[in-house]
Amino acid sequence: MCTCHTFIFLCYYEYNCDREQSKMSADDVTKGVACTLKPPVFLHFGGGDSKTQGCCSGVCVIDVALPPGKTIETITFKNFYTALVSVRLQRRSPGQEGAAAKWCTALRDRPLMTNPHTEAGAQDYYSIDRKQMQVEPDGVSSIRLILKQPSSAWLTFSVQDVRIFPRMQPVRKGRIDELSDWLLLVFPPQDPLDVASVSCRLQQMWALSQVMQSSQSHAASVGRFDVDGCYDINLLSLT
Amino acid sequence: MFNPVAETRDGTSTNMADREKRRSAGSGSCLAATVAEPGPATKGSDREFLSQAGVGELLRGALLKMVEARPDDPVGFLADHFGSLAAAVVESGSEDLKEPRLSDGSSGDEGARGARAQQRLNRALWHLRLAHHSQRSAFGNNVRVAYDLLSLTGPFGHAGDSSPAGAPGGGVSGALYTQTLRCLCGEGGVPASTSAPLLCRLHCHDHEAVPYGVFRHGVLTCAVFSDYIRQAQRLYAQVCQPDEGPASRAACLAVLGALREALETSRDADSPSVKALRRLEASAKMSPHQLARVMTEAQARGPAGHMDAKEFENAAAELFIARVKVVS
Repeated sequence: MCTCHTFIFLCYYEYNCDREQSKMSADDVTKGVACTLKPPVFLHFGGGDSKTQGCCSGVCVIDVALPPGKTIETITFKNFYTALVSVRLQRRSPGQEGAAAKWCTALRDRPLMTNPHTEAGAQDYYSIDRKQMQVEPDGVSSIRLILKQPSSAWLTFSVQDVRIFPRMQPVRKGRIDELSDWLLLVFPPQDPLDVASVSCRLQQMWALSQVMQSSQSHAASVGRFDVDGCYDINLLSLT
Repeated sequence: MFNPVAETRDGTSTNMADREKRRSAGSGSCLAATVAEPGPATKGSDREFLSQAGVGELLRGALLKMVEARPDDPVGFLADHFGSLAAAVVESGSEDLKEPRLSDGSSGDEGARGARAQQRLNRALWHLRLAHHSQRSAFGNNVRVAYDLLSLTGPFGHAGDSSPAGAPGGGVSGALYTQTLRCLCGEGGVPASTSAPLLCRLHCHDHEAVPYGVFRHGVLTCAVFSDYIRQAQRLYAQVCQPDEGPASRAACLAVLGALREALETSRDADSPSVKALRRLEASAKMSPHQLARVMTEAQARGPAGHMDAKEFENAAAELFIARVKVVS
C-alpha cells in the first residue's frame, strides 16, 4: 500500500497553481508563526485524461510555506477523519545558503485514528513536537503534510487549523532590564529574607486569631452579676 | 473467679448459667471476666459468645474513634480507649455501690474523690487531644464528650462537701475548667508565663458552674493559641538570619507591626460586605510586597539591636490575647 501510494505520488502529483491560495497568518508566537497553507490536493489515479474522473487514492497533500530559516518547536492541528499523517520538511542548512533546499522525512505514517474505519480519534486535536521528529526541524522553509485515509467509509478527510509554533528565541534584554541590572550592582539586596513564606506564616497566624474571634461571638456568658469585681470580699468589707 | 470448667462439649447451658451468676455478683470486673473466659470450641457458640458479650459494638466504637482521631500510635490509642472505657465502667459500678452511704467527710473518701476527679480530667483531656481544632465536627464532638465527662456527678450528689464536684446538671466546676485549660496550654507547648494572661481573660471562679458555650470557647481558644504560639516561634526562626544569631529588632518589629495592622483592620463588622472588605484590606497589609517594603524601611530607619525569641513570642502572644474578650 505504501509503495503504491509513493508510486502514485511520484507519477501523478499535480500542483495546481491557478487555484486561490488561502492565507493563514498569525501575529504572535502564541498563535503560531505566519505561514501560508495551500489548499489540500487529493491524489487520484486511473484518470489520465480529463474526461474520466480518477478514483480517489486516499492520499492528500497539504503544503505549508513558511518564512525561510524557521526553527520549529511544535505543529498542532485538528484532525478530520485522517488515518495517518506523514511530515516532510524542506530544509536549508544555515551554512549553505546557495545550495538547493533538501526534502527529508520528519515523521512517517503517524497513526491518528486507531482504526481507519471507526470514529475513534477522527476529530481529535494532535500536536507533533520536534522531539518526535526524526530530523531536526531547523532552517525549514516549507512543510508538506501527507494525509492518508485508506478507508472508503468517509467521503472526505483533511486536517484543520494547522498551526506551526517556532522555537522561542531568548529575548534580547531591553534598556530597562539593563538598567535594573546596573541598579542591583550599585544597591545590592541586603535582605535575603524569604518574604513570601514570612507573609504566608503571618496570614496563618491572622487566620488563627480570626477563628478565635468568630468562636467568641457565639460564646454564652457565665452569668455573673458583679460589675468589676464588686462582690470581692475585700471591697465588700470596706463599704 | 476464673473457672476452667468449660471443657465439656455440650456444657453450653451450664457455662451460660455460670456467666450469669458472675455478672450479677461483680461490679467493675464483670466485663473483663466475660470476655476473658474461654468458651467451648464449637463454631456456633463462638458467634453466640461474641454477640452476647457485645464485642461487635465495642470494636465498632473503637474503630470509629480511631478513624476520627488518626493517631500516630494506634496500639497506644486503642489501649487508652479501652482503658478509659473500663474506668468508666468501674466508676459507674462504684458509684452505684456508694449510693446508700452518705458522705462522712473522712480523708479516705476525699482522697478517693480527688483521685476520681483527676482520672476524669485525664480522660477528658485524652478526648480533647483526639482531633485538631480545624476538624470542626470531630473537635466539637470531642468537646461535648469531655464536657459531659467533667460535669458528671453521682445520682445523689455528695451532700455536705466543701467543694462540690459540680452543680447538679449545671455544668463543669470552675476549678476543673481552669485546670483543663491550663493542661491544654501546657501540652500545646506554650510556657506558663505566656499563657497566664490568656487564662486570666478566660478565668472562671472555682465556685462557678461553667456552661457548655463558655467551656467550648475556652477550650477552642487554648487550642488555637497553642497553634498560634508555635507559628510565632517558627516565624521568629524565619526572620532570624541563620548565621547572625538573634534577629534584628527592626525586622521583628516590622513583622509584628504588619500583623497588628492586619488584626486591627479586620475588627468586627456588622454587614458581611464590610467584613469581606476589611479582610481583603488586612491581607493586603500582609502581602509579600507590603512586607518587603516595610522591612526595607525598618532596616533603613529602625531601631538598632536584637530581639530574642522570648520577647518576640510574648509580643505576638500579646497581639492575640488583646483580642480575647474577658469571660463574664
